[in-house]
Amino acid sequence: MESRRLSRAEVISRIDALPAFPEIVLQILVAIDDDEANMAMLVEHIRRDPVTAARVLSLANAAVLKSRRQGAITDLFTATSLIGTGRVRETALLSSLGNFFGHSSAAMPSTFWHHSIAAGMCAQELALLSRSGPALGAALIAGLLHDVGQLWLQCFRADAFAAAQAGAGEHCISISEAERECFGVDHAVIGGWLADHWALPENICRAIRFHHVPDEALDEALVPVVHIAEVLSNALDLSQGCVNHVCSFSVPACDVLGLKWNADVQPLFGRMEARSRHASKAFPRIGLR
Amino acid sequence: MHYLPLTELQAGMVLAMPVRVVVCGQLRFSLPAMHILTVDNLHQLAAHHAEYAFVALPDERVDEEIAVESALAARRTLEIFAGADLGDPNMAALFDQVLIYRSK
Repeated sequence: MESRRLSRAEVISRIDALPAFPEIVLQILVAIDDDEANMAMLVEHIRRDPVTAARVLSLANAAVLKSRRQGAITDLFTATSLIGTGRVRETALLSSLGNFFGHSSAAMPSTFWHHSIAAGMCAQELALLSRSGPALGAALIAGLLHDVGQLWLQCFRADAFAAAQAGAGEHCISISEAERECFGVDHAVIGGWLADHWALPENICRAIRFHHVPDEALDEALVPVVHIAEVLSNALDLSQGCVNHVCSFSVPACDVLGLKWNADVQPLFGRMEARSRHASKAFPRIGLR
Repeated sequence: MHYLPLTELQAGMVLAMPVRVVVCGQLRFSLPAMHILTVDNLHQLAAHHAEYAFVALPDERVDEEIAVESALAARRTLEIFAGADLGDPNMAALFDQVLIYRSK
């Protein structure tokens, strides 16, 4: 395997070759804990993103059609009122990040997006478990973006990344270990650098950075959420077509979340799978192979 | 009984748990447990952006089908956990729950 070491400076220097990170994600984060007061701001930001605006209007009109109300909805305020701010926010996040992933690399397989969606949905369900847990929007974003470091590797070190993935299988080591052997850092570290550069909130940056080594940052509520979300998305085979493996997980992370692996988790598994399938159908791959 | 995404719900299915769509802390729509879904209900659920429901589904498989599907589920689960130490009680407990879930 190639042994060229990656530095933060090198990773960030190539970031301009990626599509612009969707500004709406940052704007939504500003309003993340305020459901009503920032509706005007939310609508204004959606308006600037034609693809997301179209999706929100489509969703609202689908609701009109299904409820047999009269007249098409053509303005975002009405659409937002009908759908509900929380759902509009989720739609905007899924749509904008789906576009971002889709336009970032024609070579990224669609399974990457399905895995990201599954982790996002699992993260939200885990966040719901904890009363003092992270905001649902932050959990969704962190879940969706947790493997964004792999996107960078695919875009800019595709051959070496493919070799690392193959090497992980051949030598029975984790993909993170294979990446560290190949690049000196793994996709979680690279993802953390990217998130930091995009000025995402610190809890999301840390959740991405530590999602494979959560015990190093259990003081951040989002870290165990994203770690266990990825473990369960793999364990439950939610991103079918992916090479899903579970080799280890953090018991302390489970303890933080109050998770016990007994019959009580069956409904949680069911909700995670149903929501992942629903979201994958509602937000199909966009420009991904 | 299964959690099914909205797109897989059908009229005639029986809700095993109530459906409650809550937006901003307000209950916008609900259906009780044991309710039999109608076409109108499916439209209402879609209109309120429900994502899933917990429904009772009769298992119409014959024993052979159940055995084959259980074996496939066990094999896939073993593949996923191939690199895990199932001697570790925590990992074994997760594995067991996943296997139970997959075998339903």
